[in-house]
Formats: sequence, C-alpha cells, structure tokens
Amino acid sequence: MSARRAILALVALAALAGVPWYGSDVLVQFGINTLLLAVLAQGWNIIGGYAGYASFGNSVFYGLGSYGVAIAMVQWELPFAAGLALGVVFAVAFALLLGMPVLRLRGHYFAIATLALAQVMTAIVSNIELAGQNIGLVLPPLNNDPLFYELSLGLLVLATLTVAWLTRSKFGFGLIAIRENEEGAAVMGVNTTLYKVAAFALSGVFSALAGGIHAYWITFLDPESAFDISLNVKMIIMAVFGGAGTVLGPVVGAFSLSAISELLSSEITSVAGLFFGMVIVAAVVLMPRGLADVLRRYRKSGWRYFIENIRMHRL
Amino acid sequence: MDLLAQILVNGILLGGLYAVMAQGLALVWGVLNIVNLAHGAFIMLGAYASWYLYTDLGVDPFLGLPITAAALFVLGYALQRGLLNLVVRAPMFNTLLITFGLEVVLTYLAQLAFSADFRTINPPYAGDSYALGPVTLPMARLAAFGVAVALTLGMWLFLLHSRLGRAIRATAQNLVAARLYGVEPRHLYAVTFGLGLALAGAAGGLYGTVSQINPYIGATLTAKCFAISIIGGLDNPLGVLVGGLFLGIIESLTTLYVGPTFADVASFGILVLVLFLRPSGLLGRAA
Repeated sequence: MSARRAILALVALAALAGVPWYGSDVLVQFGINTLLLAVLAQGWNIIGGYAGYASFGNSVFYGLGSYGVAIAMVQWELPFAAGLALGVVFAVAFALLLGMPVLRLRGHYFAIATLALAQVMTAIVSNIELAGQNIGLVLPPLNNDPLFYELSLGLLVLATLTVAWLTRSKFGFGLIAIRENEEGAAVMGVNTTLYKVAAFALSGVFSALAGGIHAYWITFLDPESAFDISLNVKMIIMAVFGGAGTVLGPVVGAFSLSAISELLSSEITSVAGLFFGMVIVAAVVLMPRGLADVLRRYRKSGWRYFIENIRMHRL
Repeated sequence: MDLLAQILVNGILLGGLYAVMAQGLALVWGVLNIVNLAHGAFIMLGAYASWYLYTDLGVDPFLGLPITAAALFVLGYALQRGLLNLVVRAPMFNTLLITFGLEVVLTYLAQLAFSADFRTINPPYAGDSYALGPVTLPMARLAAFGVAVALTLGMWLFLLHSRLGRAIRATAQNLVAARLYGVEPRHLYAVTFGLGLALAGAAGGLYGTVSQINPYIGATLTAKCFAISIIGGLDNPLGVLVGGLFLGIIESLTTLYVGPTFADVASFGILVLVLFLRPSGLLGRAA
C-alpha cells in the first residue's frame, strides 16, 4: 500500500513537473499561481491545521517575503536568492516579535488580531521609503515562466515533505496536542509557547518564499497587493476545503478550488464570484472536514455521509 | 481650538454611527459565538434597501429605517434557521468560512442588482446644518447620531429587561441550562441573528445618509465593527457605544493631525493593543 502510494505520488509529481514542456503558456501561468497558492495553504496548515490557531495574518509573511526580494534586488542590487533569504529573515523576525503576544490569544480573538496586523502592515509599508512607499517597486524582468513554475513546484514539494515529517515528529504531536487541549498539552510537558512560535515561524517561512517567487515573477510590487487580505481567506478556504490538518489536503484543496474558479470565470464570467461563494457555503455545510475526509469515508456510508456531517454540527 | 472642537464633534457623530454598526456584530458574536464576516455586507444591503426606498418609492430615509430593519430581520431569521444553525457546533474555521462565503455571495448579488456605481441618499435636508457657537452640526449626521444612540439604549433596555432579552442573555451564558428552562435554541438563535441583521440594516440606512455606498464597502465595515466590538467588549451594548465613540474620535483626530491614510492604522493599532492588554475589551471583564 505504502509503496503503491509512493509510486503514485512520484508519477503525479513527474506529470506536474513536465507541464512546461507539454502545457500551453496559459496553463503554465495558471500553474504558477496555483502552486504558490498551494504553498500558502500548506504553510497555513502548520499553524491553522495542526496547531489549531486560525491565523488570518499569514498574508503578512507573504508580503514580507515579496518585499525581501524586491528590496534586495531593486535597492541593493543583490541576486534573487539573497532576496529570498532576506524575506525569510523578515518573516522569522516578525513571527518571533509578534508571535509571542499574539499567540497568547485564543480562538476568534487570535484570528482577529492577526487580521488587524495584516491591515497595520499595509499602512506601515506604504510609508517606508526603502519599500517604495505607496508607489511600490519594479523588479528587473525575467521572462522565464518554466523556471518560476519549477521553483514553485519545488517549494510546494518542500513544504509538503515538511508537513509529512511533522505528522510523525515529536514537534507535530506537540502541535496536535495544543490543538486538542492546550492546558493538557502544557501539563504533559509540551513547551506550548515555544511550539506555537516555532509553528508560526515555520508557516511564515514557506509563505515568505512563495511571496518572494511571486514578486520576481510579477516584477511589480505595491503594499495593497503584497499584503492583500483576501489572500489569507483564500489560503484558509483551500486548506479547509481539502482538509486542514492532513498532509495532502491543502494541496488538493488548492488545486481543485483553483480549477473550479478558473472554469467558472471562463464559462460564466459575470457570475463566477457568486458561484464561488456558493461553493464555499455548500462545502462548509456538507463536508466540514474537507475533501480528504470525504474520500476516506464516503465509500462506506455514501450520501448518508453528508447527512451525518450536518447532524453532527447542527444546533 | 475651534478646529479641535469641530473635529471632536465630527468624531462623536461618526462614533455614534460606528457604534450602531458594531452593535449587531457584537450581539451575534457574544451570544451565538459566530463571528459574522458578512456583517459589513449586510450593512451594505441595508444601505441599498434605504436607497431603493428613497429613490424609487420616495420614503424618507429615516422613516424607512423600520422597514429596512424588518426586512433584514426576516432575512437574518431565515439564514440562521435554514443555514447557520446547521454549522453552529462545527469548529471555528467553518463558521468563519461560511459567513465569508455569504459575504462573497452578497457582494456579487449587490453588484448584479445595483451595478458598481457609487450611490448616495440625498434627502432635501441633506445639506442643512445647525451652528452651535463655532461648531457646525450637519443635520443628517446629527439625526443619524440620535437614532444610533436611541437604538443602542433601546438594545440595552431590551436585553436587560424584556423576557426575550433575558432568554438571549441566558443562552449566551449557558445553552444547556437555558434549554432546561424551556428556551427553544433553534428559534432563539434565529431571533438573535435576525436582531443582529436588523441592527445592521438600520445602521446601513443611517450610513447611506452620510456616506456614499457601493457593493464593496462591506469588508472594511466588518473590520471596523471588529475593532469596535473588541475595544468595547461583547457583553454590553453600552460598551459597544463607548467603543464606537472612541474609534470615531481617534479616527477624526488622526485624519487631522497625522493624515487620512493613518486613520485605519490608528483603529487597527488600537485594536491590537487592546487585544494584548485587555482581551475582553476596555469595559469587559478582565481575562
């Protein structure tokens, strides 16, 4: 079973890696966007899915990563890799400085504090001269979509392998313990503060790398788009749609939701957004634990699976 | 000095409106534990309802408020009964996501129905104002403020003294015990959400008399309502009033002394500070 799964994963990976050779330009561009969204969803999965802290501030990491690359390449004329490293440094510093106080909050309060942080960051960055203030920064263009595609794919594989490692490491068990019962975890000897901050930082590193790749690909950066709050909601929806707290759920969620939204906007342009909203509502009601759970349990109970979900969560 | 007095008055008038906007969000959050990400979109819907009543049917925006509020109450009751009650016991992400999905749906519906153009509700008295010494009081804002304060006080009296209000507070404190005392939670949840939306609808009507409306104002308004509810605390409508006034004054002062782009920084910065220092609100119980 495990060997079959590994072969299947390798075949899927090879098929994905080959897209720039047999796919159209449009498909490659769609692929880059989708892969980066999948990285964001996977990054969010660490803090949101495993530790159970619903961060609405992961877009800050993404923005910091974008600005790391832009500042390094435009203002200091350093190579792209140095920019990525700078973005990671920004993200980790942010996670350490603000993670401590914010991670003391629970539940909705944590979600809203992180949402507010994302708002504050937009305003702060638009007043920093080094970051180009409101106008933003223009990066040197590099017209090499296949390269950006493979970079994004590589990053997604790295993020997914990290989450896979997480599920069988002491660190990952600690996070799950925090999600299930934080006081209990602390009593059992889990250093909850350290674990939470580490999970926040790790989730930030992947988001920052995705932001850095995106900035160089798009070659233009301004505060509004770099710290776009709707990006946060997108990554959460993708992770939850696929299955938060599972290894492949966020990836499956990102791929399937991107495909649905792309199809909708090409088929029924004017009402695509409306249908997207309805898909979210229906998904939350019918499959609150995501596609991963549907695939696992639908075979056994069929359509009754959906009714059971509703029965479990209704008033 | 005159300028400062005028700014303070503007801030207070704005704050009253903010307070009634946040009132519904705080009620739904405090009682049902649902953080309604679509709250701002319902305010937007209320504003359009008022706009429609005024431009197409000639109903004065202030007289139209009860109609708008009633319509949104019905919508809220139906949504909670038919949809949100199905997920209230699901994990937090799910309720956040479902209300976000509703926000998307409402924004697109409004865009289809009303187009993306800016609209204003302009009754004949919109330009009138009173002079109070050196300070100018715009009539529409003053009336909006008066209605907002009246709604807040009414809400407070209702929750404190009416039978239904007590049932709502009892449910917020202990659902199981409330059920044992004969409260029917499905109906009560729907009534509470309906009340939250009725307040949003009234707030939207008031907002439309002092500001421009378009289908996309919802998200920003939701964020402001969060800030106010958290500053004021969720247990008490009067706390929300104080939170609204506080935010209105801070925003007006920041706009004057630092610059308009910083108004949002100020409100969200304060929100973060309050969360760090007193997570249950300035007037709430200590955490």
